[in-house]
Amino acid sequence: MEIVVCVKPVPDPETRLRVGADGTSVDIEGVKFVLAGYDESAVEQALLLKEATPGSKVHVVSAGPAPRTEEVLRASLALGCDTATWVETPPAVSPDPVSAARALARAVAATPHDLVLCGKQAGDDEAGLVPAALAELLGIPDFSLVVDLRWDAAASRLRFQRSTETGLERWEVSPPCVIALQQAWNDPRTAKLPAILKSRKLPIAKVPPDAGAVPTGASRAAKFELPPPRTGAKMIEFKTPEEAAQKLVQLLKEEAKVFP
Amino acid sequence: MPDFSLTPEQESLRDLARKFAKTEMAPHAAECDRTARFPEEIYRKAYDLGLMNLNVPADFGGSGLGSFDQCLIVEELAHGCGGMTTSIIANCLALEPILLGGSREQQERFLTPFCAEYHLASFGLTEPSSGSDAGTLRTVARRDGDDYLLTGEKCFITNAPHASLYTVFTTVDPKLRHKGITAFVVPRSAEGVVPGKDEEKMGHRASSTSTIHLENVRVPKQDRLGQEGEGFSLAMRTLDQTRTTIGALATGIAQAALDHAASYSLKRETFGKPISEHQAIQIKLANMVQAVHAARLLTWHAAWTIDRGARGTLESSIAKCYASDAALHVADEAIQTFGGYGYMKEYPVEKLLRDAKLTQIYEGANEIQRTVIARELLREYA
Amino acid sequence: MTAATLVVGEAHDGSLSGATREALTVARAVTAPGDVVGFLAGPAARSAAADFGRFGVARVYFAEDPKLDGATHSVSAHLAAAAAEDAGANLIVVGGTALGRDIVARLATRWNAAVATGVTSLVRAGEALEVRRPVFGGRATETRRLEGPHAAVAVRPHAFAAAPEAPVAPSLSAVALDRVPAALWVPKRLGIEVTARGGGPSLGDASIVVSGGRGGRAAENFHLVEELAASLGAAGGASRAVTDAGWRPATFQVGQTGKTVSPQLYVAVGISGAIQHLVGMVSSRTIVAINSDASAPIFKVADYGIVGDLFQILPALTAEIRRVRGQ
Repeated sequence: MEIVVCVKPVPDPETRLRVGADGTSVDIEGVKFVLAGYDESAVEQALLLKEATPGSKVHVVSAGPAPRTEEVLRASLALGCDTATWVETPPAVSPDPVSAARALARAVAATPHDLVLCGKQAGDDEAGLVPAALAELLGIPDFSLVVDLRWDAAASRLRFQRSTETGLERWEVSPPCVIALQQAWNDPRTAKLPAILKSRKLPIAKVPPDAGAVPTGASRAAKFELPPPRTGAKMIEFKTPEEAAQKLVQLLKEEAKVFP
Repeated sequence: MPDFSLTPEQESLRDLARKFAKTEMAPHAAECDRTARFPEEIYRKAYDLGLMNLNVPADFGGSGLGSFDQCLIVEELAHGCGGMTTSIIANCLALEPILLGGSREQQERFLTPFCAEYHLASFGLTEPSSGSDAGTLRTVARRDGDDYLLTGEKCFITNAPHASLYTVFTTVDPKLRHKGITAFVVPRSAEGVVPGKDEEKMGHRASSTSTIHLENVRVPKQDRLGQEGEGFSLAMRTLDQTRTTIGALATGIAQAALDHAASYSLKRETFGKPISEHQAIQIKLANMVQAVHAARLLTWHAAWTIDRGARGTLESSIAKCYASDAALHVADEAIQTFGGYGYMKEYPVEKLLRDAKLTQIYEGANEIQRTVIARELLREYA
Repeated sequence: MTAATLVVGEAHDGSLSGATREALTVARAVTAPGDVVGFLAGPAARSAAADFGRFGVARVYFAEDPKLDGATHSVSAHLAAAAAEDAGANLIVVGGTALGRDIVARLATRWNAAVATGVTSLVRAGEALEVRRPVFGGRATETRRLEGPHAAVAVRPHAFAAAPEAPVAPSLSAVALDRVPAALWVPKRLGIEVTARGGGPSLGDASIVVSGGRGGRAAENFHLVEELAASLGAAGGASRAVTDAGWRPATFQVGQTGKTVSPQLYVAVGISGAIQHLVGMVSSRTIVAINSDASAPIFKVADYGIVGDLFQILPALTAEIRRVRGQ
């Protein structure tokens, strides 16, 4: 089985966020970029599928600037991916999701693939658009909210479940397709030291970004803001417990926007 | 050494160790310290990830890292737990004499099977009556045909109850003093090898330390490292190689203490403001971070010197001596920053002081380091 | 002809979902009256599509066929694109469900257009649209300008209140299924199993945590905290005093020597806010404190505070939450 897994370098989840000099994006000075979150789970899932079906290969692909994209590809190779392809984009600029999907599609189209695995969303912009955009470009179906993914080699079919609000859907699909994995539900392995050393010497194929398709629309970052520092609680005034409850629920829904 | 930045490969190694320390070591450090439990499952995981046997060349199944890269890893591990790190790197100390003094045949015979699976090893030099003055050790190796019979007692040996292999320093004739010292590789399984009971220690309690009794242990000539009388020099050259990693270990403990103190100072309030805004604490923190940076850079410089092929005795002694003294002082100040909470075992800082203390004592007590430093220094003026 | 805004809807039991109604409210704010158009695809889409009329949408497109039950999102996206074409729409607004995100992703790709998901604010700014959205797990907010002739936006669920509208009688236009490429019909859903959700999320990765302190005075009263947690679908936590007293196991402890959590919402009940606890939860996005002591330090770090008797506040709050969530 040929598995392509798409990954994106993102700031280390433990990074203290700071606003960049021009106020439009996060400050990346000194920030470490890593393979994390759903992407890390996607690589793990690809490797598990490879181990379950002998003769399979995992090809990791990423679109982004140097050096972070190369580092994330090397980290994926150290975990056990067989080949790596890098679509290098201009420095210091993370491509927007649709451009990233276009760049990835070029690399994926050139690689044999029964399955294209993606994480549900990246840990920084959390757009969650690449899997479906990639599928649109490749002309294949995409499935989100996927848990429990298996390859039935005898039937040459993918079996998986989608964890939706109404319940668990069971699917059986002939390849190829794009699958976006749901919550990080597997336990990603840690690359061993010898593999880390070896990965530095492995080749990374490069595919130039497609200069052809110029987007007719663009999404531009205008402002990047951190929440204001805490200044003390807004105390809720009430005459009855019911009134306190109503006011709090209202505030959580409409002001804080955290009500489930 | 004009460029202080790490290569991407070095960052990957450091990140691997940092992640292991954070996710596997730190969560169990307090419990192992409290109960003096030897967490074999953690050591096995370290082995699986390639974090053990760092100094053994890849040809024999080790990780084949130079001194600088080892220091990067050891500092991160020690940040997680100093005691666990001591047991992990004890393998490097025990195997170094085989690398420096063993024949190719011996290296293949001992190192390849050792590194192929999880094993622990111990370095057996110290005895009840000889620590700093290793030249006066009394474990004898009596010639018996083509073999030797080893009799004596080693003490304070890291990993001894769990090791499968010991590198033991003996004397073929006490009257020859250091010129009689001879090194052997002794398997745990040899008859007459009796490790003692775990010592109850002030710190590094996740590491296991005990006596080894040797009662007429038969060791074939093929397991002798080098010639008779070359053992003392072998021990000294071994310690030259491993001393910098103790500097790194101490730096890791110091960094952990600094991290705790700095974070706490931003949250704890006294007299109406966070204690980080009181000068008394600011001065403490400033002194602590200076010490940590100095410890790290001295260690890096020593490691770099050794990686270039120099013996690096002056540099590595300075690094070990300074970093261990710094670790003790920084841990002490960290407890003080936490005030009453720092004195409570529920908080992580008092353990750091107890762990730091050992780094001033083992692998060459700091008093000896200072005499070595003076001797090396004065060479330049003679 | 002025361009229209197409709201692609989803239906539950024959009526428009809450997410769709929120999307309609958002669409209306940036579209000329009468130019908001609805679309729905599904096995019984026609009648559900008529529900758009209840929310003031006069022009509605639909695609109905039993085959649509269990079809892939790519099918829905193609049908939505066809509807957008028919309606002359240059802006798509959807609720940010899995289907919604797939639709905007595919349409934006096809149109080469600007797109944004998880949007918490959408306004016109000159020729462009301006959106705000949470990023980095909600630890920051970005503002983006969407420029160009087309745009696709998925709205963050629960971020907008659905505003009522005067109902109208909608005109319904069908979108033919043959506008979907044949290959996309092949993957077929095998079945749906409704799974019971039990136990609640784990403390480490829950997006809502409700923690209790010793304010409840006895172990038997801790259930009030846990009922509140259950009503929110939250994980339960506790202060060290509670776990030391044995009311709950040590794994519940949030704090310096327990777990550190940073959920979207942290509710601290009967917890004074000593620094040992704060260290474990202070980076939560929104903090609510309920305590009978007005001078408790927790109110300094909380966003919302209620000073009151928790034996009265908690049952009232739990009941109100259940009522609002329709439990």
